[in-house]
Amino acid sequence: MQAQAPGQVSLEERRRFLLLGLKITGVFVGGSVLSLVPARQARSELLGASVVGTYPYQPHYAMIIYKDRCIDCERCIEACRQTNNVPTYGWRNAVLSRRKTGIAASKMIREFLPVLCNQCNRPPCVRVCPTKATYKDKKNGIVRMNETLCIGCKACMTSCPYNARYYNGESQAVDKCDFCYQKRLQNGEANTACAEACPAGALLFGDLADQKSEFYKLLHKPDQTILVLRPERGSMPNVFYLQG
Amino acid sequence: MIELRKIFLLFLLLPGLLGIVRKSWAQEYGGGPIVFIKPVRAVIFEHKFHLGKKFGCQSCHPDLFAKKAGEVEQKDDFTMESFNQGKYCGKCHNGTLAFSVNTKCNWCHIGVQGHKHLEEYELGIK
Repeated sequence: MQAQAPGQVSLEERRRFLLLGLKITGVFVGGSVLSLVPARQARSELLGASVVGTYPYQPHYAMIIYKDRCIDCERCIEACRQTNNVPTYGWRNAVLSRRKTGIAASKMIREFLPVLCNQCNRPPCVRVCPTKATYKDKKNGIVRMNETLCIGCKACMTSCPYNARYYNGESQAVDKCDFCYQKRLQNGEANTACAEACPAGALLFGDLADQKSEFYKLLHKPDQTILVLRPERGSMPNVFYLQG
Repeated sequence: MIELRKIFLLFLLLPGLLGIVRKSWAQEYGGGPIVFIKPVRAVIFEHKFHLGKKFGCQSCHPDLFAKKAGEVEQKDDFTMESFNQGKYCGKCHNGTLAFSVNTKCNWCHIGVQGHKHLEEYELGIK
């Protein structure tokens, strides 16, 4: 083949070249257009339904939160601080609040949402931990921390969908709620500090593996709407929110 | 130039004047919101939502509540339990006169965060 000057490309060759380019871009554009079309089997999931009913641990600790009962007295937070030595800059549980609009004359009406670690069945924090410092307890399913292994990379804090972790400067490790396992449950107590301190009965702690307990029945009433936080993350949380 | 300065001064004074006006409105209804922090922090009571055609001062004072704001807080039976039995707020908030005390918790319970917000709001920082 002879080398040709740019101006001397034959018409046919130019056409072939352009056609090839069109085909390649066509494939790419077509692909991206197709991906914008909604999936044919778009499935919607009832909130929490994917989680309820599967309790792989013995005992399977969980928490039920009646969200309308919370009055943000923050006794749960104080109790947690005292029990687990949580510093002032950290948190193991929190109460989210926002102004409720459009119901009554008063400007001050707020609604509250107590949040804590959801002790997920598929915890994203455990998945990302490079040193296996955070792990899912094989017996009771509590997501726990091994503080000596923690290198403070905070990957778990970024991966947590519930913002339930903080870095503790004293222990130089990430700290999180463990359903009071270290301070209470393993010493034979049956309730967490926060649930015990709640004056409104908004927080309830119990074992879902025990199918005869009142706790189990609360969650398994017919027609009970069960909500969980961020179900789309697929973490299968063990903190359930009920109305009323 | 002098006019400009006058306008500037007016703008400086205006917020202060508005504050005085707002305060006098509040005084008409027996002061601004009353916040109870015992036994649970924090519960709001506002006269302006309670005074109206049906209720005057005598409806609550001095039988149900002492006239001094926040004095009931010191009593031991100032709890939700006694409200349910028809004492204090529960006398009207019984489900027939007004919504019952065992519903709509956060209509009165504004919480720690609500209390903080209110304090800032009152100070005008918001």
